[in-house]
Amino acid sequence: MKIRVVQRHGTALKDRLYLPAIWQGLKITATHLLKNVGDIKSVDVLEYPEEQPSDITNRYRGLHRLTHREDGSVRCVACYMCATACPAGCIFIEAAERTDGVDEKMPSRFAIDTLECVFCGYCVEACPCDAIRMDTGIFSLIGSRREDFVLEKEQLLAHKGAFDE
Amino acid sequence: MSTAALIVTLGSVVLAALLALMMIPVLVWLERRIAGLIQDRVGPNRTNIMGFRLGGVIQSFADVIKLVFKEEYYPGHIQTGRALYILAPAITFSAALLAFMTIPFADTLHVSGEALRIQALPVDYGILWYLAIGALGIIGVLFGGWLSHNKYALLGTQRAGSMGLSYELPLGLAVVSMLLTYNTIDFNAMVAWQTQTVLGFLPAWGVVVQPLAFILFSVALFAETNRAPFNVVEGESEIVSGHMTEFSAMKFALYFMGEYIAMNSAAAVIITMFFGGYQLPYLSSAELIESFGTFSLALMVITPLIIYAFIRWMRRNNDVRSTLSHDGGRRFEARVLTIVLLIKLVVLELIFAYFAFAQPSALQTQIAVAVVQIAVFIVKLMLFNIFFIVVRWTLPRFRFDQVQRLGWYYLLPLGLLNIFITAIVIVGVGS
Ligand code: SF4
Ligand code: SF4
Repeated sequence: MKIRVVQRHGTALKDRLYLPAIWQGLKITATHLLKNVGDIKSVDVLEYPEEQPSDITNRYRGLHRLTHREDGSVRCVACYMCATACPAGCIFIEAAERTDGVDEKMPSRFAIDTLECVFCGYCVEACPCDAIRMDTGIFSLIGSRREDFVLEKEQLLAHKGAFDE
Repeated sequence: MSTAALIVTLGSVVLAALLALMMIPVLVWLERRIAGLIQDRVGPNRTNIMGFRLGGVIQSFADVIKLVFKEEYYPGHIQTGRALYILAPAITFSAALLAFMTIPFADTLHVSGEALRIQALPVDYGILWYLAIGALGIIGVLFGGWLSHNKYALLGTQRAGSMGLSYELPLGLAVVSMLLTYNTIDFNAMVAWQTQTVLGFLPAWGVVVQPLAFILFSVALFAETNRAPFNVVEGESEIVSGHMTEFSAMKFALYFMGEYIAMNSAAAVIITMFFGGYQLPYLSSAELIESFGTFSLALMVITPLIIYAFIRWMRRNNDVRSTLSHDGGRRFEARVLTIVLLIKLVVLELIFAYFAFAQPSALQTQIAVAVVQIAVFIVKLMLFNIFFIVVRWTLPRFRFDQVQRLGWYYLLPLGLLNIFITAIVIVGVGS
């Protein structure tokens, strides 16, 4: 059997005294502190909300949207795949018969409770019709009541995709 | 009691209360701001009253208001000892506050034959008071943690108790060696002793004369005040929040503020015992009173430079990057503060000119010297508080057994050794 002897560090007197190490650490933190006190504008942070993030990529999972067909009608066929896949159980669909001849079924209600949603994206993966997407790039939703956070079909249809296909 | 004595006593009490209580919001803000700056963030800087944010310190006041108006929640599982449970944070808070009260802020005033101490509690056994009252704070921690009926609180309490035991000893030993050196238990006399010089040029500050005692004392005080790297009592990642777990609203805030007052008191004791207290290096009070004319002339030159540098720094930093269209009133605030500072400068210059060129009475000079010394004390206090904070954001927390090992195996023997060395030196010098 091959034995490898691992060298133990920290047994020298200098290490065991601990104070030199503290001194080195203090030097590092004090350098950062003094530099930033001297020039606060050099600190590389966003002045949110005046500055908005500019580095949201097209893989970012933002708020959901329901996509449209070429004729502008809702693409969703109310198959409940997304609601079944959703680990948070926060998609509420009520199906209705579609009478305009484009398809057989459509949702009469399609709501997502974003307070429950964990933004996992499983609904997007589950959808067989590419009817739900999370490519809006919207990362903040504000409301004063809990009901404000339940997004209904109309709102979801109104969201625009932030990226090209 | 004469009028002068009454005024000085009242003034000292008010000053001590202000220095202890008004320091809390400033320290909480400094803690958060310095943590941010060390980690290349900015920290709280937005809360403002009509555009005035004073660098963000307003945030602390907003926090206090929030804590005061928070729901007073009493955990239902706590059946017995409700009164003590509620009293516990107050014990810790008052102990920390009282411990601060014997710190001298300036040299003793001599008014018509009376010696008036600028101390909230004009006693001559300051260090004993600090050790006795400061250690009482742990009782509040024990009560609160035990009565919480919570395993995390219990663990925190157990840690607090054993920490108290193991670090009270090195603290006491370090103090003993300082007492041997100074030959007094009076803070004022200690400060007076430190105006001497050693080796001809160094001020005889405690830290120069007794470096080992300084290290022992400050390490023990870091542990006593529960500051990182010794904050095992409330080690968030291990035991939620220790003894404070079940406390909310103002009860929690009392514990929280008590910790900052304790840190402030610790800093005050360290500078009084090891950094010359309220004295400027090389300038004893007598010398300062004698040559106060020259001194205020020097101040007349230095103060504008300091204020100029501060204004420049403020105008550069109380601003946002040029890519932003809106500065949230920062530039306006900087302008107003500039005017305020300039007015202050003019007033200060007039006062200095009075002392430099007119003929102030002896009493006026004494008062002016006291004010200068109070200012020196506050500057030193702030510097040491900042040191406490920077250390917290530099070092990770020790494991609990490491803390105990350090206390018993290293600090205690070193403290004893230091007493031996001190005693030998004193006997050698004395004979
Ligand atoms: S992102 Fe996840 S949690 Fe949210 S609605 Fe879709 S499946 Fe449900
Ligand atoms: S969004 Fe997609 S998965 Fe969900 S019901 Fe509509 S078609 Fe089915």
